[in-house]
Amino acid sequence: MLSKDACRAIVLLAVALAVSPAAAGQGRDYISIVGSSTVYPFATTVAEQFGKTTRFKTPKIESTGSGGGMKLFCAGLGIETPDITNASRRIKKSEYATCRKNGVREITEVKIGYDGIVLANSKEAPRMNLSKRDIFLALAARVPAPDGGEKLVANPYRTWKEVDPALPDTRIEVLGPPPTSGTRDAFVELAMQGGCSTFAWIKTLKKTDKARFKGICHTIREDGAYIEAGENDNLIVQKLEANPRALGIFGFSFLDQNGDRIQGSLVDGEAPTFENIASGSYPVSRPLFFYIKDAHVGVIPGMREYVAEFTSDRAWGEDGYLADKGLIPMSAGERQRYAADAAALKPLILDDAGN
Amino acid sequence: MSSLFYPLILLLLASVAFGQGKRRAFAMAARKSGGRFHSRPWYHGMLVALWCLIPGLLVYILWICFADTLITRMVLHDLPREMLARSAGQKTLLINDLHNLVAGHVAARNIDPVLQRAADHYRVLQNTGRLIMAVLMLAAAVLSASLVYFRIGPDLRARNKVERIARISLLLSSTVAVLTTIGIVLSVLFESIRFFRQIPVTDFLFGLKWSPQMAMRADQVGSSGSFGAVPVLAGTFMISGIALAVAVPVGLMSAIYLSEYAGSRVRTWAKPAMEILAGVPTVVYGFFAALVVAPSIRDLGTMAGLEVSSESALAAGLVMGIMIIPFVSSLSDDVINAVPQSLRDGSYGLGATRSETIVHVVLPAALPGIVGGILLAASRAIGETMIVVMAAGLSARLTANPLEAVTTVTVQIVTLLVGDQEFDSPKTLAAFALGLLLFVVTLILNVVALHVVRRYREEYE
Amino acid sequence: MKKHGAMPGKEKVTAMDVVQKGLARRYRRERWFRRMGLAAVLASIGFLGLLFVSIIGNGWSAFTQAEVLLDIDFAAAQFDVDNLARANYGALVKKSLQKLFPGVKDRRQKRKLYRLVSSGAAFILQKMVMQDTSLIGTSRRIWLPADDEVDMLLKGYISRSVPESQRRLTDRQIGWIDRLIADGRLKKRFNTTFFTAGDSREPELAGIRGAVAGSLLTMLVTLLLSFPVGVATAVYLEEFAPRNRWTDLIEVNINNLAAVPSIVFGLLGLAFFLGVLGLPRSSPLVGGLVLTLMTLPTIIIASRASLKSVPPSIREAALGIGASKMQVIVHHVLPLAMPGMMTGTIIGMAQALGETAPLLMIGMVAFIVDVPTGLTDPATVLPVQIYLWADAPERAFVERTAAAIMVLLAFLICMNGLAVYLRRKFERRW
Repeated sequence: MLSKDACRAIVLLAVALAVSPAAAGQGRDYISIVGSSTVYPFATTVAEQFGKTTRFKTPKIESTGSGGGMKLFCAGLGIETPDITNASRRIKKSEYATCRKNGVREITEVKIGYDGIVLANSKEAPRMNLSKRDIFLALAARVPAPDGGEKLVANPYRTWKEVDPALPDTRIEVLGPPPTSGTRDAFVELAMQGGCSTFAWIKTLKKTDKARFKGICHTIREDGAYIEAGENDNLIVQKLEANPRALGIFGFSFLDQNGDRIQGSLVDGEAPTFENIASGSYPVSRPLFFYIKDAHVGVIPGMREYVAEFTSDRAWGEDGYLADKGLIPMSAGERQRYAADAAALKPLILDDAGN
Repeated sequence: MSSLFYPLILLLLASVAFGQGKRRAFAMAARKSGGRFHSRPWYHGMLVALWCLIPGLLVYILWICFADTLITRMVLHDLPREMLARSAGQKTLLINDLHNLVAGHVAARNIDPVLQRAADHYRVLQNTGRLIMAVLMLAAAVLSASLVYFRIGPDLRARNKVERIARISLLLSSTVAVLTTIGIVLSVLFESIRFFRQIPVTDFLFGLKWSPQMAMRADQVGSSGSFGAVPVLAGTFMISGIALAVAVPVGLMSAIYLSEYAGSRVRTWAKPAMEILAGVPTVVYGFFAALVVAPSIRDLGTMAGLEVSSESALAAGLVMGIMIIPFVSSLSDDVINAVPQSLRDGSYGLGATRSETIVHVVLPAALPGIVGGILLAASRAIGETMIVVMAAGLSARLTANPLEAVTTVTVQIVTLLVGDQEFDSPKTLAAFALGLLLFVVTLILNVVALHVVRRYREEYE
Repeated sequence: MKKHGAMPGKEKVTAMDVVQKGLARRYRRERWFRRMGLAAVLASIGFLGLLFVSIIGNGWSAFTQAEVLLDIDFAAAQFDVDNLARANYGALVKKSLQKLFPGVKDRRQKRKLYRLVSSGAAFILQKMVMQDTSLIGTSRRIWLPADDEVDMLLKGYISRSVPESQRRLTDRQIGWIDRLIADGRLKKRFNTTFFTAGDSREPELAGIRGAVAGSLLTMLVTLLLSFPVGVATAVYLEEFAPRNRWTDLIEVNINNLAAVPSIVFGLLGLAFFLGVLGLPRSSPLVGGLVLTLMTLPTIIIASRASLKSVPPSIREAALGIGASKMQVIVHHVLPLAMPGMMTGTIIGMAQALGETAPLLMIGMVAFIVDVPTGLTDPATVLPVQIYLWADAPERAFVERTAAAIMVLLAFLICMNGLAVYLRRKFERRW
């Protein structure tokens, strides 16, 4: 009997618990940020500094992926929507249109710096010296026939030596991000397309038949040589350590942190170092962004201050704390320009962005 | 947690009502006024308590649902027109401002005096509203409780009434599961339909190639995607199959050992220890599979002259099998334990050994429960996400070789949902379609399983 | 004749001999069966042990943290009594380091020197002064956390033998570290921060208190909702519901729900709890509701199995002496079925405790520094914290990940322990 009594009390308490918080007609007093997992480590660093040095609460930052972040960000105005979204790529026209349709009319774009994309392998194996052409030939789904001529064949290369006699005689095994990843997108754009353009006849296609050109350059092989390894870059690093034959593709900060276990391959003769990426001589890096919902500034406490913290030289400058975390800073001029735009909340108009 | 205050008050009130009702019934029964009581005093008390609680809670819930909207509307009504003539989104921001002011949070900008006045107004209204609600709630509770209280008598069929309320609440709980299903179907259906508008259903269901290498930006034509779900499903079933091949024998044998052979002390320690296996976060298993199991399987395979992928289905399946052992072992153990001792004694009496008794008597008697446990384990294996995300990789290949890398539905769903691509592209929508597909496929499997279990079920006693 | 001579033997065969002949084989099989069972149990437990050993091996070192002993001079000139927060606390740390290494003059080298102490040191000093203003004007020796790189070097995770260009610490920095160690100013001490702080991007400042609080709140909601609803559903379906197509449908449906990938429950939560009901994003309340829906099938299936296994004779006996159906269930069937129901609940709760995927969709996979205090505060939970740390580039997060797993497992063992105790109280055999 007692147990039934207790049972009932629990049920009631549960009901009460379930309904009670709906009563909370509370406002939100912290900044809500969503978006890319690549920008996440940088944004969180800034948020923490911001929370500790100001009277405002530490912003809440979700790691949702750029696309999911944009979807939430563009869902409309109001406290239940995020105030800022991080992105590892620029906003798309269609997303911009969705934003405007849902009443998010003014957004400000802030570029925060670059993320280098490196190819790396275990220290136990020799360091690779790749050209973009090698990368293309090793990873594309279809490559120009090895005997020359303007014909495409399914990628026949099994080992690096077959691609380029100067490379070691090991099986091609590359762990990299899946097609849904911004890292993969940038890698394809910068490394593969670069290598692909070294074939004169493919390059001419770019002008005559753009679709075919991209089809050739952007499609990665799916016969097992390229292994889609998910977004957890630490896991890739550890898999590389366990498998010295494999090469991995990931963000620079992971190479930076694990310099004693893995080594970055040279691309076109340039090593993936902080200086080389910052100066632009290392060819594979991509910009990172965040977008501010202007209508929320002044309503959600602390937004202006957060943006000011992010765009201060102490954060994103050459010696700032973000550089410590692996963010490659922009040039001083670019920083100044973006900081000014951000402070003025200059709205983004996508037509002149020339996407 | 001031929001818990009112339900707690109500609960207190109900317990008082319970005591009063019970006492009254006792007193009346002692006086023997009007013959034998139909129900025992406890039920009378319970009935009074329930009738105290239910109306009170109803009032409270109504207040919670509507008070805030009502007050906000009243306050907004008093605000100047030009502040309101804006889009809906800006209105919610205004309301947020108001709520922030009411709650006394720091706002970054100078406070508009109009808004400040509105906030004060809001606060006043909120307090009056709360007062009215409290009065109403208590009135409703006391009134209905006392109505029942004065009906207490030998003829009041209190037990039946209480039982009816209990039955209704049982029925209501059982609809939660159904509602969940409806919710799930609804939440994936619309996006799936949008997906099927872009990709034909037949391509999705019967396509043998899964490669969502679609362009991420509008100018990036070129790479075309193909969305054939067959290899993804096949991968799911292969990994789940491997997992079950590990979990069912190990789990069942453990259950038999623990319930039939082991002493009670071993059992009380071993069983919860095994249950920990189910609770280890799947992220941990994922790391274990990816970093320990997969490399050792590859090394073993290379020694045996086999080509083993570093993301083999075998590694993910084995580790997942270990994770679901407790689903089989604990549930089977409970069921085996519940088989009446008399059945065993009968079997021993005929001269059967213990193992013969187990195989021929105990297991058949416990079969429905065991199958339930196995079904649950299989379900977990099919729906498991993080292990495969970390250990199984993403390459969708149609193969029967467990040493190759395969992908599963759940991996694809996660990768597609948290990717960087635009949310409305077929790439993301495919995640919803995959969810729906998996839902339908497991539904069919479960219907089949139900029929099979029905056929082989043995009723004992 | 031969046949006849064999007759007595044959008579024996028909009776005991068959038994005798087969007995050895049957006993062998019996022993073999028993050993198989033992092996299965040992295999499971052995695997659990292996998992524990590897986690503890990785994680125990996170419970200590390198700290530097610095002489901090809280000179009164540095502080403005009205605005203590504005004082430059970083400068206090820098000054103290300069005093220790007066030889470092170069600007770049100075910066390298300052980097040995955690960037959080300044905030710790700030907090100390804010709490106790009498510190101003005094000079104290204070243990402050060292940078995570120093921590990793002390714990041996960074090898000194690799060339300077491949480490994040330069040779000069290692020289300073060695001097600090020799002076007894750099030591590994118990890491209290790990248990008292919320999340942080600096490994040496990161703690799990926020995640533990979030997990507790989320589990509270899940337990309070899923156990009663699950048991009630099981009771209704098993004892009251008529056997027809409708109940078949519900049964299949519940089994099917168990197979729905957990991330899909997240989608449901996103659409319903956040979209329709408008509950706050990232809150333990929504997390608990989603996990409730996810664990319900497990609890229902387990509860039904254990209800089914209560012998009908018990029900009939109770009915026979005049109990109502509800009384039979509450007084006789439920107590007998309780151990099985609890098992299902433990497994379900354990699974909910370790779940990450559904929380991804409802905003709980997030960087949240403040410790949640209520059901509607933004919060994260332990497995999510583990997932996020596992993805962090900093090396020092590896051991913290393992340590967080240890805490989660401890949490789990406590929960199981409680359930075992309850189960022992209820279990009986007939």
